Amino acid sequence: MNFKAKAFAAAAAVALLSTGAMAQDIAVIAGSVEDAFMDKIKKGVDDATAMVTANGGTVQYLRTQNYENFGPDLVTLINQAVAQGVDGIAIPVWVPDAQIPALQAAREAGIVIMQYNSGLPVMGDVGAINYFGSDEYAAGFGGGKYLAEKGAKHILCHIQVPGAINLTERCRGVTDGATEAGAKVTVLETPPNLDGDVTGTAEAFKAAFLGDNTIDAMVSCADFGAAAGANAVEQTGAKIMVSAFDFSPASLDRIKAGTQTMAIDQQPYLQGFLATSMLFAHLKYGTNISTNPVLTGPAIIDASNVEAVMAGAALGAR
Amino acid sequence: MTQNREGRSSGMSFGSLARRPEAGSLVGLVLVYTFFAIMGGAVFVGAPGWSSWLNIAAEVGIVALPVGLLMIAGELDISVGSVIPASQMTAAIISGHFGLPILLGIGCGLGVGLLVGYINGLLVTRTTIPSLIITIGTMFGVMGLTLGFAVLIAGSTSVFLVPTPLTKLVLGTFLGGMFNVSIFWWIAFAIVIYFLLHFSPLGNWIFALGGDRDSARNAGIPTRGLTIWLYMLSGFAAAFVGILQLMTYQNAQVATGQSFIFNSIMCVVIGGVILTGGSGSVIGIVIGTATFAIVNQGIFFSGLDPNIGSIIIGALLLAAVLSNDGFRALALKYSTKKG
Repeated sequence: MNFKAKAFAAAAAVALLSTGAMAQDIAVIAGSVEDAFMDKIKKGVDDATAMVTANGGTVQYLRTQNYENFGPDLVTLINQAVAQGVDGIAIPVWVPDAQIPALQAAREAGIVIMQYNSGLPVMGDVGAINYFGSDEYAAGFGGGKYLAEKGAKHILCHIQVPGAINLTERCRGVTDGATEAGAKVTVLETPPNLDGDVTGTAEAFKAAFLGDNTIDAMVSCADFGAAAGANAVEQTGAKIMVSAFDFSPASLDRIKAGTQTMAIDQQPYLQGFLATSMLFAHLKYGTNISTNPVLTGPAIIDASNVEAVMAGAALGAR
Repeated sequence: MTQNREGRSSGMSFGSLARRPEAGSLVGLVLVYTFFAIMGGAVFVGAPGWSSWLNIAAEVGIVALPVGLLMIAGELDISVGSVIPASQMTAAIISGHFGLPILLGIGCGLGVGLLVGYINGLLVTRTTIPSLIITIGTMFGVMGLTLGFAVLIAGSTSVFLVPTPLTKLVLGTFLGGMFNVSIFWWIAFAIVIYFLLHFSPLGNWIFALGGDRDSARNAGIPTRGLTIWLYMLSGFAAAFVGILQLMTYQNAQVATGQSFIFNSIMCVVIGGVILTGGSGSVIGIVIGTATFAIVNQGIFFSGLDPNIGSIIIGALLLAAVLSNDGFRALALKYSTKKG
C-alpha cells in the first residue's frame, strides 16, 4: 500500500512538472451518473466552471458509473485525477476507509483537497482545506425544531432503511431539536422491503397514526415518505403536518397545495458551486474562507418560499 | 396434472383436502390473521385494518398472479420491478410532461409492459439461458432506459401528472376514504386468471409446461407461444400497477417498484406454488398475497418491532415450502393407496 502510494505520488510529481502547473487545473469527483441528486451538484459545478475557465483554469468533472463498487471506483477516479496532474481535487468522502489513503497520497503530491457533500466527521484525516455540505444531525435538529415551533407536540420520524447511520443521525437530530422546543419524537423504522414502496409506507403510517392519536407531525428521511405521509393523512383524515428530508417536484407541488408542511433541503447546487469556485480561488488567489466547515443546509422549504424554489428547480439548480 | 384442477375433487375426504395446493397456505392465513387480530385489536379487525392490508395486497397481488402463472410454468420474472416505474414514467412523460391525452399515456405505459414481456418471452424461448438471468438482464436494461429517458426528456427522475377526474376515479381513488380502487382491480385480475388457469385449456397447458416442457411440446402444446404470452401477461400486470400508482400518487419515480420483485415471489411461494413448477393454484396465490399483506401491515397495528414482521414473513416462506413438500408427499401417499 505504502509503496503503491509513493509510486502514485512520484507519478503525480512527474505529471505535475510536465504540465507546467500554472493553469490551476481542478478535478471535481462526484457520485453515480444514475443519481438525480448529483445532477443538481453538477449544475453548480457547471456554473463555477464558467468562472474558472474565464480566469484561465480548467475543470474536469468525474463521476462513478453506479454505487455497486463505490469505494474502489472513487479511488480509481482520485488516482486518475492525480495522474493527470491536477492542482486541486473537490470530492465528497463517502467511503473513508478506501478514499483517505488515496487522498493523502494526492496531498503529498501537492494537490489541494476540497471536501463537499459528505464526510464532515473525517475532515481532519482527509486534510481538506474546507467543507461545503450539510450535517445530518444539524439538518434533523433544524427540522425537528421547525415542526415543534409550528405547534407539533408529537413527531413521528420515519427511517426507510433500518440501521443506516446517516438516517439514524437525522432522526437523532430531529429528536433533540424537537425536545428542545418541547415536543416528543417517536422513531418509526419501516422494514427494508418497503423502501421505495409508497403504498406500503403509506399504510404503515396509517397504522401508526391510528394507533397513536397524539401524533400531530411526521418527518420522513426519504422524499417518497412525504408522498406516503400525505396519503396516510388523506386516508385517516387526521390533522398531521407532513414533512421530509430532500424533495422531488411532486413535494414542491404538495407544499404549494398545502398537503405537505415542509422539506429539509441541503442545497446541492451550492455544494457543487462553492466547492469548485472556492477551490479555484484558493489555488489562483490564495483565498480562504474563515468559516470552516460551511454548512449549505438545512434550508427549510415551506409555503413561504416554495415559489422561488420551484423557479430554481425548473432551471435544474434546486 | 389433474390434481391441480379446481372442482374435480370428489367428496371432502382428508386426502382430497390435503392434495389441494393451497391447503397449507390457508392454515398459515388463519394463524397469521388470528395472531394480529389479537395483537392489533379493534382497529386492525375494523375497516382501517382491512383497508390497510387490502391496499397492500391489491398492488402486489396484481403482479403476483401472473408471476405465479409463470412459476407454475417453471419460469421466473424479475423484470416486473423495473416495468412498474417504466410504465408510470412513460405515461407521466407523455401525459404530464408533454400534456398529451391521458388515455394515450396510459396506453403507451401498458404497451411498455407488453413489450418488455414480449422480449422476455422471446429471449427465454429462443435461448437456453435460465429465465432468472434473462429477466435480471431485462430488469437492468429497462431500469437504465427509464432513467436515461426520464432525465433526457423531462430533466428529472420524478415526473408529475394530474389525472383527469375519470381516470382518477377508475384507477386511483380511495373508496370510503380508505379502500383503494386497486382492490377491485385485484379481484378482477384474480377472477380472470382463475378461469384461465382452472377452467380453460390454457390452464392445463401451463401446468404441463411446468411439469415437463419437452413432453408438453411433444404433446403438441405450443410451448413457445404460451411462454411468450405468459411473460406479456406479467409485463402487462406490472405496467398496470405502475399506472395505478401514478393515478393514486400523481407522481412517477424512477426508483420505485424494486420491492415488488421479492414480494411477488414470496406471495406466490407462501401461496403454495412449487418453485420447480407444475403445481399451484390461483386461490393459493390470493391467500399467499393476503397472508403476506396481513403480516406486513399487522405489525404496525400490533405495536411490535417492525423487524419482527420480516422475521415472520421469512418463517412463513420456509414453512410454506416445507408444508408444500409435506402435503405433496401426503397426497402422493393417498393416491398410491387408491391406485
